[in-house]
Amino acid sequence: MKVLVTVKRVPDPETTIRVKSDGSGIETDNIKYVINPFDEIALEEALRIKEKLGAGEVVLVSIGDSVVTEQLRTGLAMGADRAILVGCDQDLDSLAVARILAKIVEDEGPQLVLMGKQAIDDDANQAGQMLAALLGWPQATFASEVVLSDDQQAVKVTREVDGGLETIGFALPGIITSDLRLNEPRYASLPGIMKARKKEIKEVAAADLDADMSPRLTINSLEPPTQKEAGKKVETVEELIGLLHDEAKVI
Amino acid sequence: MDFELPEEYRMLQETVRRFVRQELIPLETTVLERDTQGMTGEDLVPPEAEERLLAVAQEAGLWGLDVPEEFGGLNLGALPKCLATEELYKTITPFTFPPDAPNLHMLMQTCTPEQREKYLLPYAQGKAHSAIAISEPGAGSDPAGMQTSAVKKGDQWVLNGRKIWISRAHIADFIIVMAVTEKGKGARGGITAFLVDKGTPGLVLQRQIPVIGGHAPWELVFEDLTLPDSQVLGEVGQGFAPMQLRLTVRRLEMGSWCVGLAQRCLDMMVEYAKQRVTFGQKLADRQAIQWFIADSATDIHASRLMVHHGAWKFDQGDDVRQEASMLKVFATEMATRVADRAMQMHGGMGMSKEMPLEFIYRRLRPMRIFEGPTEIHRWVIARKLLRD
Ligand SMILES: Cc1cc2nc3c(=O)[nH]c(=O)nc-3n(C[C@H](O)[C@H](O)[C@H](O)COP(=O)(O)OP(=O)(O)OC[C@H]3O[C@@H](n4cnc5c(N)ncnc54)[C@H](O)[C@@H]3O)c2cc1C
Ligand SMILES: Cc1cc2nc3c(=O)[nH]c(=O)nc-3n(C[C@H](O)[C@H](O)[C@H](O)COP(=O)(O)OP(=O)(O)OC[C@H]3O[C@@H](n4cnc5c(N)ncnc54)[C@H](O)[C@@H]3O)c2cc1C
Repeated sequence: MKVLVTVKRVPDPETTIRVKSDGSGIETDNIKYVINPFDEIALEEALRIKEKLGAGEVVLVSIGDSVVTEQLRTGLAMGADRAILVGCDQDLDSLAVARILAKIVEDEGPQLVLMGKQAIDDDANQAGQMLAALLGWPQATFASEVVLSDDQQAVKVTREVDGGLETIGFALPGIITSDLRLNEPRYASLPGIMKARKKEIKEVAAADLDADMSPRLTINSLEPPTQKEAGKKVETVEELIGLLHDEAKVI
Repeated sequence: MDFELPEEYRMLQETVRRFVRQELIPLETTVLERDTQGMTGEDLVPPEAEERLLAVAQEAGLWGLDVPEEFGGLNLGALPKCLATEELYKTITPFTFPPDAPNLHMLMQTCTPEQREKYLLPYAQGKAHSAIAISEPGAGSDPAGMQTSAVKKGDQWVLNGRKIWISRAHIADFIIVMAVTEKGKGARGGITAFLVDKGTPGLVLQRQIPVIGGHAPWELVFEDLTLPDSQVLGEVGQGFAPMQLRLTVRRLEMGSWCVGLAQRCLDMMVEYAKQRVTFGQKLADRQAIQWFIADSATDIHASRLMVHHGAWKFDQGDDVRQEASMLKVFATEMATRVADRAMQMHGGMGMSKEMPLEFIYRRLRPMRIFEGPTEIHRWVIARKLLRD
């Protein structure tokens, strides 16, 4: 079974993000980048599927300029078999991303596409859904459990929805986006790191894919969230209730 | 000239960093509690936690970083080993990826084919522990002045004498014991290394000595300890050079210990300076505090470059004894300065045993003594310069 996993390069969630003073973006100096944590979870799931079946192929795909090689290499070190780098140096909105991915899917023909439910940089939460629509494939978003049928023709996916869990099933091929609790991704092991050096990263240019990349969405400005005020210690329950009522106005 | 670390080394750093963050840092409170209760050495980490750490590290393929491939290792060399070691020392939770390899290079240089099977192989695979007994009550800085003797009687060697400050002697499956085989020759042909198995009659673990920084080395006595020829490690009379090689590698690694611990102190300083308010202003706004931070960052940067350079040069097959001595002096003193500043800046919290700083400070102190005291290294450095 061939599984395609999408990998986006995003700022490390542990780094402090500063918005540029003109609001046009974030300051990128001295920022560390990682694989989008939800994509890492998707990759882990793909690797587990492959390990369970004892066969198959896990292919990574990332869109961006050459620096994303770093994240692809890490994914290869975790255990993916090969990677595709779609070279592109323009900013893309979710639809453009989905359109490019659709071309890659057509070309690669995977039975399953595993993606993160969202990327932690722009939090759009759209690419998976849009890709499913473009391909006319079934989708299961916010997955917390994935079970492949014995004949490998279908999946059952538990989804984290408001107020509980929902389990749905569909016939492959299809698209699954991962939620936080799907699994705990493995370490890029040292032997894995050494092997990754020799694995293939195929480069294709986005411009050659004949995908419509024209932006539907532009970012007008970014603003940092307002500074949180320091917490307060209260002496008594009465005081707390008073403050919740008068100041926070929540009761 | 390229200072950029290769991609796979950076990935290794990242993997170890994550291991430290996910596995070791959460154990720090436990380590501090056990330290305060008076536990030392291997006991600082609860056995069940240690078992888990070993399993996770093995899963991530982190065993045997600098062990040759023929022994199931990755043969990565000193530089990546030092990079991984720095990360491991950003926590106070003591943990080493097996094998704890200070004796590896010495064994590799000296083992016979039989000794390879019996000692080197299990050691390199992390299945056997080892210790090395050089120091004596009357000979520390000057090991060539050791008194422990090995006398050939027929085809047996008979050892008598006393060793002190021997780390991990109680858990060692074998101890490399340095002894005088020809009086008067000293380091030049007079000292031989022997492999002494745990439980060999005549090997007495006299007493354990609690030492600052969670160490608890042993005093050993040899009473007519008898060994066959097959327990001689390397050439008779030629034990000193392989022992020196061992120390050189260890000193490079010690540089990484210091860089890691100091970096942790700096991280804590930066974070605290931004939070702590005195006299209506953040500590970060005070120039006195800024200098603590600036000086520490500069110190760490210099030491890290010294580690990278020394390890790189070692991996080229060059002699790095001089660099290793410089690093040993500079990095241990550097980390002491940084830890002291960090404690000072944390005020009462810096003194507290509930915080890592006090532990780090104690942990650093003996590093200026073992693997050669600072003064001896300064002397060695100067002697070479003045002679050349
Ligand atoms: C925690 C710990 C673990 C250890 N583990 C081991 C181990 O596993 N195996 C082992 O063999 N040893 C071990 N040692 C021993 C260690 O290597 C010795 O303590 C060290 O070599 C110093 O020797 P010494 O204690 O005899 O001090 P001394 O040699 O007596 O030196 C005392 C002081 O005098 C200074 N000094 C000595 N000579 C000169 C000189 N010529 N010029 C200027 N100053 C001088 C020294 O720098 C030092 O400050 C350990 C020590 C400690 C603290
Ligand atoms: C063993 C021990 C016993 C103690 N016993 C008592 C006791 O019995 N009773 C009691 O009341 N207290 C006691 N203390 C508390 C002690 O007096 C305080 O720890 C000390 O006053 C420092 O305050 P702090 O810990 O809040 O540090 P902070 O005031 O937060 O200072 C932190 C660091 O910032 C520096 N700093 C602060 N302001 C400035 C500035 N404006 N410019 C430059 N640098 C600055 C300080 O010099 C220090 O290095 C004890 C402390 C210890 C360690």
